[in-house]
Amino acid sequence: MRETPGLVWHPYPARAAGVAEGDQERGRQGKGGGFWAVTRHADVKEMSKAPEIYSSGIGHSNLWDLEADALEARRSIIDTDAPDHTRLRRLVSKAFTPRNIRKWEETTRQIAVELLDEFEAAGGGDWVDMVAAPLPIRVILSILGVPVEDADFLVEISNYLVEGTSDRPSLPDDAYGNTTPVHLLPFGSPASHALYEYAEKIGAQRRAEPKDDLVTLLVEAEEDGDRLSTSEYRNFFHVLVFAGNETTRTALTHGAMAFAENPGEWQRLLDDPELLERATDEVLRWATPVLHMRRTAACDTELAGTAISEGDKVVMWYCSANRDEAVFDDPYRFDIGREDNQHFAFGGGGPHFCLGAFLARMEISVLFDEMRKRGMRLEQRSEAVRAPSNFVHGVLSVEMGVSR
Amino acid sequence: MSDLVKLAVDREACIGVGQCELLEPEVFRLDDDDELAEVIGEGALPRDRAEVVVDKCPSGAITIVED
Repeated sequence: MRETPGLVWHPYPARAAGVAEGDQERGRQGKGGGFWAVTRHADVKEMSKAPEIYSSGIGHSNLWDLEADALEARRSIIDTDAPDHTRLRRLVSKAFTPRNIRKWEETTRQIAVELLDEFEAAGGGDWVDMVAAPLPIRVILSILGVPVEDADFLVEISNYLVEGTSDRPSLPDDAYGNTTPVHLLPFGSPASHALYEYAEKIGAQRRAEPKDDLVTLLVEAEEDGDRLSTSEYRNFFHVLVFAGNETTRTALTHGAMAFAENPGEWQRLLDDPELLERATDEVLRWATPVLHMRRTAACDTELAGTAISEGDKVVMWYCSANRDEAVFDDPYRFDIGREDNQHFAFGGGGPHFCLGAFLARMEISVLFDEMRKRGMRLEQRSEAVRAPSNFVHGVLSVEMGVSR
Repeated sequence: MSDLVKLAVDREACIGVGQCELLEPEVFRLDDDDELAEVIGEGALPRDRAEVVVDKCPSGAITIVED
């Protein structure tokens, strides 16, 4: 049995010129610098439940370091601590409760049926482009209350945002008419500028004509002055669009690939529809759409018997926790029958627990349920083209064949 | 068969996920105003089910009231 290390210090090479390679001076929020890699399930859980020690606000929640001005410009709900975090969360949590998300199940089913009909009629194709990407984007747009004709644009934007999490962005800094220095934009991408502009346009429309949707909820909060600032509103919109579509797309794609690769598991679901909920959780564990979230130690502390200094970067690797043999029997086996699946696809718990968890679960189970109902089978026809990112487990495209 | 225990929600810690209402709708409900959880009805569960809902609350806002 392989031993999973507790905490491993990664001397992450510094990126900026002028900083010595391997400079591990701790307690400084400079460029580069090492980080603690937290790989075990129990340790990720412990960190997640101690936000006062493991801060999301001090250095933001991604592995890379940001300059002070970028930290402020790019801050969203993910990168805040209590009490600001609590205020932001409570503003929108109502829209994402099981009771309110259930209202969207019928819409989700209609979209799923339409996409699967087209996929079958075409004899298969790129699963990402034809099914996995459009489903969650159209659902989050319905919830936000923005027009479905804008779906393609928003998918394009979120693809560029994913690219922005890699070292090789392809967009020029002035794409989409952007004039803001890119380090001040989320994911350092000019696509964020386009998304901000879009958020402002939709926000203005809802201020003029309020509707019963999530954008209206957000802008009305903004008008109260002390509730949501302009920066908070547009970064919130940004998080909802990115998290609300890219992540679920990833789960639906890895899930489809897993079922194609493990036809016995697909047959199990066809034979026993009661397995749907457990299958959904196994898809989530398998896919782990968000690979890591980073925290910064707010004080000296200890984890897994290791001393951590104030200011250290401490990174939770959900992909590792979701393969922890201490928690999951035979963790590298895709098994839709797992009982009490304690995966961390939605994080390790605590106040930052994924806002969209119930929505994601609903979309994933509806899609695989609709596939099951028509006895649809998938066959992978090409290598998956992966997103070059250490943040998201993204798949940009994968060809699937279809049969019944 | 385990004893009945009473449950409490810390509304400061609650972030309105609704996992409790999903699991035990006779005992938990997200209220209409703040959409935060409140204990309703008898406010009690057999200990083994109480422990499940305590564990499943993502923000750890639910506790068993030990007399």
